[in-house]
Amino acid sequence: MTWPNVGIALSFRQTVISLTLGWLALMVVAPHALVLMTSVMTPNSEHLAVWPLTFDGYLKVMQPIYFDVFFQSLWLSGVATLFCLLIGYPFAYVLAKQPPWLRTVLLVLMMLPFWTNSLIRTYAMKLILGKKGIINTALVGSGIIEKPITMLYTEFAVIVGLVYILLPFMVLPLMASFEKLSNELVEASRDLGANGVQRFFTILLPLTAPGIVAGCLIVFLPAMGMFYVADLLGGAKNLLLGNVIKNQFLVVRDWPFGSAFSITLIVMMAGLLWVYALANRFVQRQGGLDDENL
Amino acid sequence: MIKQFRSLLLAIVFVPWLAQAAGKVVVYNWSEYIPEDTIEKFTEQTGIEVVYATYESNETMYSKLQLQKNSGYDVVVPSTYYVAKMAKEKMLQPLNKALLPNLQHLEPLLLNKEYDLNNQFSIPYFWGSTGLGVNASEIDPTSIHSWKQLWDPQYQGQLLLMDDVREVFHVALVLNGHSPNTTNPDEIKQAYELLKTLMPNVLVFNSDAPREPYMAGDVNFGMIWNGEVIMAQEEDDAIQYVYPDEGAVFWVDSFVIPAGAANVKEAHAFINFMMRPDIAKDCVDYVGYATANKTAVAMLDDEVRNNPIIFPPQSVIEKGEFQSDVGEAIEIYNQYWQQLKVGQ
Amino acid sequence: MTRIFKALLLLLVFVYLYAPIAVLVVNSFNQSKYGYKWSGFSWKWYQKLWQNDALITAFNHSITIAFLAATAAAMIGTLMALAIYRYRFRLKKAASSALFVVMMSPDIVLAISFLVLFVALGMQLGFWTLLLAHITFCLPFVVVTVYAQLKGFDDHLLEAAQDLGVNEWGMFRTILLPLLLPSILASWLLSFTLSLDDVIISSFVTGPDYEVLPIRVFSMVKVGVSPEVNVLATLLLLISILSLIVFSLLVRRKSL
Repeated sequence: MTWPNVGIALSFRQTVISLTLGWLALMVVAPHALVLMTSVMTPNSEHLAVWPLTFDGYLKVMQPIYFDVFFQSLWLSGVATLFCLLIGYPFAYVLAKQPPWLRTVLLVLMMLPFWTNSLIRTYAMKLILGKKGIINTALVGSGIIEKPITMLYTEFAVIVGLVYILLPFMVLPLMASFEKLSNELVEASRDLGANGVQRFFTILLPLTAPGIVAGCLIVFLPAMGMFYVADLLGGAKNLLLGNVIKNQFLVVRDWPFGSAFSITLIVMMAGLLWVYALANRFVQRQGGLDDENL
Repeated sequence: MIKQFRSLLLAIVFVPWLAQAAGKVVVYNWSEYIPEDTIEKFTEQTGIEVVYATYESNETMYSKLQLQKNSGYDVVVPSTYYVAKMAKEKMLQPLNKALLPNLQHLEPLLLNKEYDLNNQFSIPYFWGSTGLGVNASEIDPTSIHSWKQLWDPQYQGQLLLMDDVREVFHVALVLNGHSPNTTNPDEIKQAYELLKTLMPNVLVFNSDAPREPYMAGDVNFGMIWNGEVIMAQEEDDAIQYVYPDEGAVFWVDSFVIPAGAANVKEAHAFINFMMRPDIAKDCVDYVGYATANKTAVAMLDDEVRNNPIIFPPQSVIEKGEFQSDVGEAIEIYNQYWQQLKVGQ
Repeated sequence: MTRIFKALLLLLVFVYLYAPIAVLVVNSFNQSKYGYKWSGFSWKWYQKLWQNDALITAFNHSITIAFLAATAAAMIGTLMALAIYRYRFRLKKAASSALFVVMMSPDIVLAISFLVLFVALGMQLGFWTLLLAHITFCLPFVVVTVYAQLKGFDDHLLEAAQDLGVNEWGMFRTILLPLLLPSILASWLLSFTLSLDDVIISSFVTGPDYEVLPIRVFSMVKVGVSPEVNVLATLLLLISILSLIVFSLLVRRKSL
């Protein structure tokens, strides 16, 4: 009686486990291993990449010119992340304080634009930022400025675009943090006579730190890859790492170099994730929050 | 419920394959390089379905084709020098002239060129030029006459350049007195040094639709293709085209069939259809470039035929230079180009 | 913070999020082809869209991929969450790390890793490569959502079931699946949304046979000429609002 059951149980269990491991091995581990392999191969116009082993790709990444791209990219993504945080933090706070039904509605409203592909929305941004765009027309029309300002095709436009696309990704983890935050803690501190500023720095900020770090990571890393934002709003100058990587893969066809760039990005990501883990551990020790979903 | 769901799933998965059963042709062309209804007409008259994809530079087209191992696309439209390059690298297949009776309508002067003797691999579609674009409501077009003026400091952060390595280097090479098709690394380096001093003036790179930033008022001066100006003028007369004193960049874009094309017969049918005089005429009217089809030229309105922007006088053509393949030197060009686009 | 300040903040952020969409909607009715200025009301771009087969096809492809990818990701991701939650196995830690990496990786990194894989395997870029890539980048979001709900369950329930001799598959089908439905549906919706929104991964892993909306629009958008795109965006907005209403009604009925 129990035999068949055990048999089926095992097979279901095994199926589920092998599906999990198989899929991840084929679609996550293998591709990254291949990129790593490509990054130490020699570029070849016919076969894309061939042996022998070489570290030329990495040497190229370290050339001063790409170093500059790196810093420019870090700078643009950093500023965009900062603005996402400055807008997203109070926004998430207000959202988290709403009654559940309203919160759901507002969250859905925030995600709704995603259904209109982000590329199309970025394009619409051009019509807002251009010299004859809505902002300039309004400013000139109301007499605030005399001549339209150049905003489109500048770094400013790229930042506006990045913040626009990535803001929801900042808000979601922050919301989760605020929801976990118990009101009692805040109220207790108020009873103890802490003022607004004190409450913010001693309670709110430390306890939402994991959300802040998670949000920043989930905005900062992708921002560096958003080549289409730099293409459309930045005038196709190679402003972001994403532009360089895309050009190496789809235009210049130096795959080892492109792969080396990508690996560099992954290493950076690993570094940041390590910081994230540290921050998490720190907060857990401080406030005893339970935050380890994966 | 589950059964219905399963059949829906099957339908969705297999529909793409069923669609392939009927005749079709995959065309890979420059953005906006064909009138919208021409493709519909072709499908109507031949029953061949057209899958239409676009690219914005020869380099993108070339790498996509390589990535697909020369298959996937049936008709592609590379520029002059890429025809030579791709033929040399065995990426193209010879055309079957018996399937292209409309070849008789083409201008003999544009056939049997050095980049493809006897038109073994390619059929010219359009030819055109890259020159200076000016918005007359902001800048007096009569004051503009030379590539050199792009370097004028008063245009800081205002210019549009093509997003095309060869065309941009063409300008600098010509200004330095070198051949725009040079393979000499020193000359290329000199051109790069000159272009580096141009970068502070550049606002945007665009070779999808360079007219668009002009029309939007974001750019008033820079490089542009002649056909783009024709299209822009439909909406805004102020956008003008100037052939620079040093000579414009001339190019020919040609139909070719990749070596691994799956629908060779349909590809020939498409190319032949595009050479029909009435179709070629439609294309000129819509796209605003000069057609290689002499029968079609005769059918054009006088206004179009005599428009110096589309059909420049002989003297202008002689002053300009056609692009040709630079072989391996393209790697050097590309290296510098990447540096320029980073702003160095 | 005062009430007014809060309301103002919400308003400003939503204006920012919806301004580009408003521009698209308004321009879909604009007589002018270029949309720099308003030159009269017109339905003509709506008619034009019907005739624009290429755009309609790309739109269908996008919806198809989003639907299939979300469905597959919801199924596979639920099983993965179950595996990670319930079973002990070798490489479990590695599996969750891999999912975490996918979730945090910039799209461009994932995109080129998929591209390199498909090229190495000699797969023709198109429907299948696109689908596999989309399922994979949606998976971690499903796993996180479903896992979070699993963690909230009372273990005794499953133990009781086990004592009654229900096997693993039976337990999954009769107990877990119905209970997990809300998080599965939510993760399906999230996957569908992410798949529709994607630009970067799609532009690397699809080929000429299977153009999706962002690829089609990428060349057009820079051209700035196709007002049909505005129409499409408007219709997408309408569809998304309608389906969300339907979706929420369905969910409400289920939970009652």
